[in-house]
Amino acid sequence: MRGCSSMHDRLTRWLVSLPPTLFLLVFFVAPSLIMVVASFRLPGDYGGLAPLVADGHWQLTLETYRFFFSDFIYTEIFIRSFGVALATTLICILLAYPLAWLIARSPKRHRDLMVLLAILPFASNFLIRIYAWMIILGPQAALARAVNGVLAGLGFEPVSLLFSPFAVLVGMVYVHLPFMILPLYTNLDRHDPVLLDAAQDLGANAWRRFWRVTWPLSLPGIYSGSALVFIPVLGMFAIPEILGGTGDILIGNLIKEQFLGTRDWPFGSTLSIMLTVTVLACAGLAAWFARRGAGRHA
Amino acid sequence: MRFFACLVLVLTGAAHAADVLHLYNWNNYIPDQTVARFEASCRCRLVQDYYSDNEEMLAKLAAGASGYDLIVPTGNAVETLIRSQQLRPLDKRLLPNLKNLDPAYLDAAFDRSNRYSVPYAYTITLIGYNEQKMRELGLPTDTWAVIFEPKYLAKLKGRVTVLDSQRELMAAALKYLGYSVNDTDEAHWRRARDLILRAKPYWAAFNASSYIKELTVGNIWLAHGYSSDMFQARQDAQHAGRPFSIGYATPREGAVLALDSMVLHKTGPRPDLAHRFINFMLEGRNSAELTNLIGSGNPNRAALPFIDPAIAANRAIFPTPEIQRRLEMLKDLDRNQRRVLSRMWTEIKVR
Amino acid sequence: MRKPSWWLWAAALAVYAFLYLPLLIVVVYSFNDSRLNAEWVGFTFKWYAELFSDADMLLAARNSVLIALAASLVATVLGTMAGLAIHRYRLRILPILTFTPVAMPEILLGVSLLLFFNLVFRPWLGLELGLWSVIVAHITFCIGFVTIVVRVSLLGLDGSIFEAARDLGASPWQTFRLVTLPLILPAVVAGALMSFALSLDDFVITFFTAGVGVSTLPLQIYSMLKIAVTPEVNAVSTLLMAFTLSLIVLASRIHRGALRGRP
Repeated sequence: MRGCSSMHDRLTRWLVSLPPTLFLLVFFVAPSLIMVVASFRLPGDYGGLAPLVADGHWQLTLETYRFFFSDFIYTEIFIRSFGVALATTLICILLAYPLAWLIARSPKRHRDLMVLLAILPFASNFLIRIYAWMIILGPQAALARAVNGVLAGLGFEPVSLLFSPFAVLVGMVYVHLPFMILPLYTNLDRHDPVLLDAAQDLGANAWRRFWRVTWPLSLPGIYSGSALVFIPVLGMFAIPEILGGTGDILIGNLIKEQFLGTRDWPFGSTLSIMLTVTVLACAGLAAWFARRGAGRHA
Repeated sequence: MRFFACLVLVLTGAAHAADVLHLYNWNNYIPDQTVARFEASCRCRLVQDYYSDNEEMLAKLAAGASGYDLIVPTGNAVETLIRSQQLRPLDKRLLPNLKNLDPAYLDAAFDRSNRYSVPYAYTITLIGYNEQKMRELGLPTDTWAVIFEPKYLAKLKGRVTVLDSQRELMAAALKYLGYSVNDTDEAHWRRARDLILRAKPYWAAFNASSYIKELTVGNIWLAHGYSSDMFQARQDAQHAGRPFSIGYATPREGAVLALDSMVLHKTGPRPDLAHRFINFMLEGRNSAELTNLIGSGNPNRAALPFIDPAIAANRAIFPTPEIQRRLEMLKDLDRNQRRVLSRMWTEIKVR
Repeated sequence: MRKPSWWLWAAALAVYAFLYLPLLIVVVYSFNDSRLNAEWVGFTFKWYAELFSDADMLLAARNSVLIALAASLVATVLGTMAGLAIHRYRLRILPILTFTPVAMPEILLGVSLLLFFNLVFRPWLGLELGLWSVIVAHITFCIGFVTIVVRVSLLGLDGSIFEAARDLGASPWQTFRLVTLPLILPAVVAGALMSFALSLDDFVITFFTAGVGVSTLPLQIYSMLKIAVTPEVNAVSTLLMAFTLSLIVLASRIHRGALRGRP
């Protein structure tokens, strides 16, 4: 009976785990490996990739990586993307914290509804959310006219709110804010109010209570929220393309252009690999911080 | 089980060819009237997709776009498509109207003996402008300097757009500096890049599709664009009763001539309908309709009697031999040159 | 429990306003009788009428729904299997495989699939990009969501039930069908609904794997944003929002913790 069930067990295990594993190996791992190899291949004469083997030997090269570093412009765009991602994350933390705190401190019966309300904008297609800001920041809309009215009054030249780094930042924050609210709230929800009461009894004022008790405890939530914001922002291209000016392009735009514009697939792959490496490095860093933080304040 | 069968049927139903011709064409490059007449004559439907730049079209095809019967690429793109074996050779027996074409436009370097392509129309990439404004500001309209020189641009700040096309903008800069549009000397390219970067702060945008509207409405006073688009802008401004008119001229330093041809993509499901379309467009009357409605240059001799004399006399659409000497067609770049140009274009966009 | 101070209320309300005002503007202007999204002119349904007579848009909507149906179906099945397998057998590779497509920037998945379809499927199998390539791409990132939701639901179950079932002589399939599935069904359905919503709304991955010729609603909206913006975009946005909103509300009703990742 025992032997029978363990063989049965193994069969079941394979049956259940094989289909998803196979699917993901074929449609996720294989494409990623192909992309890694593509970054070392030569570009085709008319776009795309040159054949992997020609005249009996492999056509692989480090030229594409060398090309990436040959001019500072690409590194500059990477650094700028990094900066945008950082700024977006910080602003999201700033905006999400009061809201998450409020929901966590609200009576239980309201919390689910408040969370749902905070998440619902996420239900809309993100292009719609970008479009909304195209309207709000557009030159004909009230906001731009008001701002330019003030500027004109002060003697400055009119400024365009749309197609600017400002618009890109607003768009990024707006699209990713729900991703910060949720993990933060989940974390804050678990805080034991007794700790704060104890701190108050010991004479700490509101600010000290927040800084010495709440903030350190919320760090894991901050880290997961930051990861959920920082990493997608690094790869975004639609927001800079629609809301940004010609000079506001980020890594995502570069990658898109290589595949759907210049037909330089090796370079596009190289850029993607560099992005992946950056993302893994950031994720690793975040995990390290989280472990350190948890260790210190456990 | 039945549900899945139904699902599969509905999913694959879309692939059924029916009597549909898929055309991948430039924006605003075929009038609705012509489309309607073709659909009536062949009792089929014409479905169009659009692109605003050869590079965009080539990239989409390279990335796996398929199912187009007909594409209308410019000369250098035709060469790329032929060399990468994406085209179906023409069956000349199905194209009796080929004889209508002006031999000057046949047997081009990019497709000897026209095995794959049939000339459709040609345009010149030039400058379109708001005539009143340019006169008011005392600016010249027959030279690229008005797009590149800060002394002129200072009066036009924020009112100029240029094409969002690597090849076209570099070609304009190279021509202004006195080089050939097909010059591949990197030092010359760097001079062109610096010229562009110096002028960029005065430009409103890099625009490939909506500049016609902006010109017509009066937001933009000067645009770098295609002669057929400028023709339409002029018509639109007249019809809308604007207080200004749109003019356009070939700069004296020279410009790019784009000869667009019809080609058959090898993944197209209906080559028969495609041939019918080509033959239809080679008829004098239909080809002339194209010119009369969108202002494109016409390589078809049989079309001449049907073309509006005012348009036939327009030197920006039908250039004189003297202007023709200064026009050049773009040739495709090799992969290393493409990469260098791409980096330069990134610099142009970002700096 | 201390009452939160007034400024906290104010800040939180401000954030709620920040979240909703832009969307409200999109919805309101979809009824505006003006081509420009600048001032309110008058009430009209004409943009919705234009929407329903726009053949391209209807085709895109049909494609979106078909893709979402197919993708969410397959992703739910595969994701549930993955969730069960990970929970039961403590696998190590499968969690990484399911979770990474969800965690990484979408453009990387889109681009690598583009390469894959062009280098492998086209030459070897002669298949061109189309609906199916988009469906496959969507399944890839939806599996992760379903896996997470199912796993979390399983974590909340008392393991002794399964032991009891086995002791009573039930085969693994019977255990699954009669014990496990009914218990995790809310999570599975919520996962399916979320996959449907995600697939419907996806832009980046669809952008790279659709080839041209296959259009979905997000792709249509994108090309309208790039070429000619009319309030028709507002109309389709409003309808799309209402639809995905109801899906998400439905999902959260069926499975209370689906949004929070709690059982």
